[in-house]
Amino acid sequence: MIALEFQGVTKRYGRRTALNGLDLSVPTGSIFGLVGSNGAGKTTAMALAVGLLRMDSGTIDVLGQGAFHPGRQGGRVTLLPQDSRLPLHARVDELLGYYGRLQGVAGPRLKRAVDEVLDWTHLQDRRNSPVRTLSHGMMRRVTIAQAFLGEPDLILLDEPLSGLDPREQVRIREMLRLRRGRQTLLISSHNLHELEALCDQVAFVDLGRRIRQDSLEAVIRRRHSLVMVLDGPMTLSGAALTEAVPGVQWTYDSARSELTLVFPDEWTPARVNGTILPLLVTAGCGILEVRSGSGLEREYLNATAPPPIHGGFQ
Amino acid sequence: MTLGGSVGRVAFQELADSIRSRRVWVFLLLYLAGSVAATILFLNILQKMETHLVSTLGLNPATEPGGVTATLWKSDAFQRMMTQLIGDRKLAESLLSIPPLALFWGWLCLTFGPLLVTLTASVRIAEEVWSGSVRFVLFRTTRLSWVTGKFCGQAVQLLLAFLLSALGAWVVGAVRMNSFEPLPTALALLAFALKAWVYGLAYLGLATAVSQMFASPNVASALSFGVLMVVGMIHGAATFVKAAAWRPTLEILDLLTPAGHRLDLWRPDAAHLVPALVYLVVLAFGYLFLGHLVFRRRDL
Repeated sequence: MIALEFQGVTKRYGRRTALNGLDLSVPTGSIFGLVGSNGAGKTTAMALAVGLLRMDSGTIDVLGQGAFHPGRQGGRVTLLPQDSRLPLHARVDELLGYYGRLQGVAGPRLKRAVDEVLDWTHLQDRRNSPVRTLSHGMMRRVTIAQAFLGEPDLILLDEPLSGLDPREQVRIREMLRLRRGRQTLLISSHNLHELEALCDQVAFVDLGRRIRQDSLEAVIRRRHSLVMVLDGPMTLSGAALTEAVPGVQWTYDSARSELTLVFPDEWTPARVNGTILPLLVTAGCGILEVRSGSGLEREYLNATAPPPIHGGFQ
Repeated sequence: MTLGGSVGRVAFQELADSIRSRRVWVFLLLYLAGSVAATILFLNILQKMETHLVSTLGLNPATEPGGVTATLWKSDAFQRMMTQLIGDRKLAESLLSIPPLALFWGWLCLTFGPLLVTLTASVRIAEEVWSGSVRFVLFRTTRLSWVTGKFCGQAVQLLLAFLLSALGAWVVGAVRMNSFEPLPTALALLAFALKAWVYGLAYLGLATAVSQMFASPNVASALSFGVLMVVGMIHGAATFVKAAAWRPTLEILDLLTPAGHRLDLWRPDAAHLVPALVYLVVLAFGYLFLGHLVFRRRDL
């Protein structure tokens, strides 16, 4: 089942092309990460999905009901816009009540829904405060709260954790993770570690086109790749590595002192660790960190531009 | 949620937001202060004219304004003269049955009401697009319901403003005028408040239409005043240009503006008044939906 599908979507702002035939397929119940540089078209894609922008060509299917229209999918799809300002004079609970009523939540259900989102965004004590009296981070939490009102099926979150303090970031990230399977979340973020911790599907977008879409497992090869951060230069020879783990592909980034290993299906991360780590120790390499998967950041950089060569060997 | 339900929600929120932001109080105060100040000015001028008239006739001067005017207003000779001047007996009789204070206040509202409506309404939608707050709403309800709700919310504020303004004029009259007729004046003021409201609705529709077309509140505000001037020029041309070649075009254009129906609001008979009121309401929603034709396709 697909919750949101873009097919060949193009959007131009005057002469500038923001989306250039974007294809995207967001599975129902997934936490889907949208990765791209500034101006790649992520925000435009989200605004198009909920009808705030008009596309020039292509099709967008929302929840299997065709193009978005509030009369059809209203209340089932919500958006957390990136830089939009809430009405400053409204009180927090009144504003959320207004949004809830507009999307068809009413009566005791509305009260429960408002209470619930205020609880998990830690805003219960400020529910009667006018928005203008809130700090930037609190306002951001109100915008997060409005996106989760009334248990929508599809939630589009544009940089949801930006502007939050570290504690709130962790808390809300955990709350987002709990939504997996119940709701579909499309998250756009420049913080790739955040996406790596949350998502089960990712798409890389560059210059308005999708350049890759896959499961996070497949993209970062978590089960088939290890990164070892060394405390100094790599002194183990390449021949020794390939002899110990036949079929292994490896690179060494001398600037980061990172040894990356990609190994065949018959090998598990634990088995590679058990084989390689003793060799490295014997060769005099200090090991500071070992992590599975190549990392979303690295994969994104590789996918969008040639990786920098730091003088390592392969 | 139905269209009506959404419109009602948005209208209620517009009112509530105006109250919380104190915008509505400024708006009401503006109308009240304008009405009170203009009524006081009118009564001062009336008193000076009456004093001058009385001294010319060699009579005892009155201490409060309105007494001489009321006597004159009700005299048969004056009524005959007015009937001949206006050329329409029913209209003359109807106008002379209205207390002078209410007549002045009606003129005041029909003249300056559009300006105040334009001043306050032309930025409302543009500023929400500008701040981006519209992005929290327009995936929850349709653009049409949102815009119509905004319009309705402001229409209610406008009605309150005219009623409060009428009350201000009535109180000034009661305090300052000699031979003040409380009930006839109150009823006449109420009737003019309702007529001015319907007239103001058309301008509200015009300002809301412009506001839907621009993301910048300043641009929307400036252009609304531009549109107001164009409406005035069309009405002026339709009134004063006598060239036969231009008359049909100017008359049609004039009917498409609120100003073209203003004169009918002074007429007492339903045959003129009701169509004018209906026209003005149709114009209000017509302008609103013309603006919506642009707004519904706009990037927000």
